[in-house]
Amino acid sequence: MNDQPRSAINAEDDWLEAALRAEGEAHRDSYLDDGGFTARIMSALPAPVALPAWRRPVLLVLWALAGLGLAFALPSVVLDVTYDVMRLVLGQSVSFSGIGAALVAIAVATWAAAAFVLRDD
Amino acid sequence: MAEPPLSDAELIARVVVRDDRHAFSELVRRYQSAVRTTLRRLTSGNHALADDLAQETFMLAYRNLASFRQEAKFSTWLYRIATNAYLADARKRKEELLGDRDGQLADDEGADREDDAPGGSDLERSASLSMDMARAMAVLSDAERAAIVQCYHNDLSHEEAAQVLNCPVGTVKTHILRAKQKLKSRLAAWARD
Repeated sequence: MNDQPRSAINAEDDWLEAALRAEGEAHRDSYLDDGGFTARIMSALPAPVALPAWRRPVLLVLWALAGLGLAFALPSVVLDVTYDVMRLVLGQSVSFSGIGAALVAIAVATWAAAAFVLRDD
Repeated sequence: MAEPPLSDAELIARVVVRDDRHAFSELVRRYQSAVRTTLRRLTSGNHALADDLAQETFMLAYRNLASFRQEAKFSTWLYRIATNAYLADARKRKEELLGDRDGQLADDEGADREDDAPGGSDLERSASLSMDMARAMAVLSDAERAAIVQCYHNDLSHEEAAQVLNCPVGTVKTHILRAKQKLKSRLAAWARD
């Protein structure tokens, strides 16, 4: 017990206080060997929730459908963005290295999106 | 180079977020000794019952880990679950037995031994006092024993013990006072020596 001032302890109780403290120290110093206890606990835990195998492809399809749905729901926005992007691209001098960089960027974005959807839970 | 061991908070986060069983087994390994020895004290040395209650404690901890707010130490939270499990079990047993016959037996045994003259070497005296103390602890009420175990054996402050026992600090102090009066009476021979 760590918040009781020693001065507060009645002298008559001193032997009992000392005995209790000694018991406490012996208790804290002792270490109980695991002896299979942890394994027993782990085997008693409920089985982890197994996700169905069809979950990942369905998620991928749902993301794709969500993208298409957005495009159909907001056609003017999609068209405006597409025109702006085309205008930007056509305004630039096109080179093979530029096209390559754009393809790499698109591939990276696609891979990142797929990795996010198919990540291990 | 070996990785430094993960903190309790990191292990808890892994269990809560990813249901990481390995992280939970590490937590069990870290605290099994403290929880089991505490329960052995509370059950007056009934090792089988103490281990069953320890298992119940860790199962409850696993199920409720997401509700652990990290305001107290993880060990204090575990002690609280363990003490609740012990008190619930003690209540159930008492209802079944319609009275604590074990306590009565310990009471009688303690009365018989009260005037035993402690003697022998320091080691023998220490072992003898420890045995008498264990018998005397069995005479205490469940709440008194729990208060003594938390404050002296687990070295918790009165405030921490109040958290564990889910009662006001004043109640903890009252339990300790009454427990010490009973222990003093049971161990009177040691005081005279």
